[in-house]
Amino acid sequence: MLKPFAFLALFLLLLTSAMLSHFLLYNSSMQSKKLLSIVGLTKIASPVLSSAFYAPRELFAIDVSNPAYPQMQTINKMDFIYDK
Amino acid sequence: MTNSAFLHFLTTLLFKQRSKHVGAVLISTIIITLLSSVLFISSSLQQTLMSTLNKQADFTVTRVEAGRAVNTPTEWTDELLNINGISKVSPRIYGRYFYEPRGNSFLVVGVDFFDEQSSRELEKLVDGVNLKEFLSQDNMLVGEGVKSFLESHYYKDNFTFKLKDGTFKEVNIYKTLPKLSNLITNDMVVVPIELAREIFGMKESAVTDITLNVKNDAEWDNIISKIHLLFYDVRVVEKREVKKAYENLYNYKGGLFLILYFITLVTFILILYQRYSMVYSTERKEIGILRAIGWSIKDILKLKFYENLLIVIVSFILGTVVAYIFVFMFNAPLLIEIFLGGENLKNSVELIPVLKFGVLGSIFLFYAIPFLAAVLIPAWKIAVTPAKEAMQ
Repeated sequence: MLKPFAFLALFLLLLTSAMLSHFLLYNSSMQSKKLLSIVGLTKIASPVLSSAFYAPRELFAIDVSNPAYPQMQTINKMDFIYDK
Repeated sequence: MTNSAFLHFLTTLLFKQRSKHVGAVLISTIIITLLSSVLFISSSLQQTLMSTLNKQADFTVTRVEAGRAVNTPTEWTDELLNINGISKVSPRIYGRYFYEPRGNSFLVVGVDFFDEQSSRELEKLVDGVNLKEFLSQDNMLVGEGVKSFLESHYYKDNFTFKLKDGTFKEVNIYKTLPKLSNLITNDMVVVPIELAREIFGMKESAVTDITLNVKNDAEWDNIISKIHLLFYDVRVVEKREVKKAYENLYNYKGGLFLILYFITLVTFILILYQRYSMVYSTERKEIGILRAIGWSIKDILKLKFYENLLIVIVSFILGTVVAYIFVFMFNAPLLIEIFLGGENLKNSVELIPVLKFGVLGSIFLFYAIPFLAAVLIPAWKIAVTPAKEAMQ
């Protein structure tokens, strides 16, 4: 049964190395350049959040709602899509 | 027992009883895939946004009226420039244009194309753009999402904006913004600044807000105080606040999934524990036989440890690889909508691969330790009972 085990190990090694090689060889510079150009052109860096019309596009200051737990944010529908 | 004999027995056991392990591997792979996918999306978006935010201006100044942001006077630009330490003051004109028939909206952004930097950035962004030709008529550049939305509504070459005074303005679609910038441009319509004013019915004396830079970080708080002393009806948004807000937003969403993951994990571990501690389980008999033929408790625990460690490793590798393929090769269909929303225009974003080995290591440990504990504790309990009793 060592043979099928070796085959399984080889298969997993192959999967891992394929993933790592995709990660290392992926050329993200073109995408980064395009994103930086659009920020330079429009001066808007906030991502497209496909939300309702009345929702603001820009994220503003952090809302610290509970002084006892400063890191705890209030949960409402917009929090899942956007900042208030 | 020699190591090679042990390995042979271990692999034989694993493959002979594969139908028993397939279920555990399958459930583990699904749980790890889901969690890794969410963490991959969250870290990829976070990293991309952080790098783009670095190029954004340090401060955004808006006029506030009754707690709401309103149009900012253009003359503030000159007043801000008079403050020492402030540079690159630029007014922005942008806003949402609501397309009533379908309830969708676009982000219309006005750009001053006569500004040298803007024209340079445009040439870098869109291949084969001719600025002279673009400015000779009422033209616009549209994002991929806007383009497909307009095409599906029979606006092939132009779109008619309804203006504030009830008249209509026809604007030609000049080119589509590149797909690679969809994360920011999907719902965007870029027009010359004067055309944006016309669409929103804004006067010459007003802009949406003003951005500015302060080179010396140590001066940031001082500059904010100076701006607040200069204008009383002002809101100053700092880049570092926006950065923190994005970090919190995506950590928060990732955190929600982490809670779901723990709930699922605990349920799964309980099922495993139950399976191994059942009175008439095959595991019990198997351990009893091994004890009867002379295996020590240590040997049995060693066998169970390696057997389940292999299951965890196989599940982890499969789960991570499937998640990687799903997120970075197929761009995470459905799951991406949790992060980017799906109410307005459909977006297909190409996610830049980001692997945080610390996070992957933590997932492995948080999964492997409870998994192994859920198997080894009942196995040890059976191993310490007399062989005869265990086999009954």
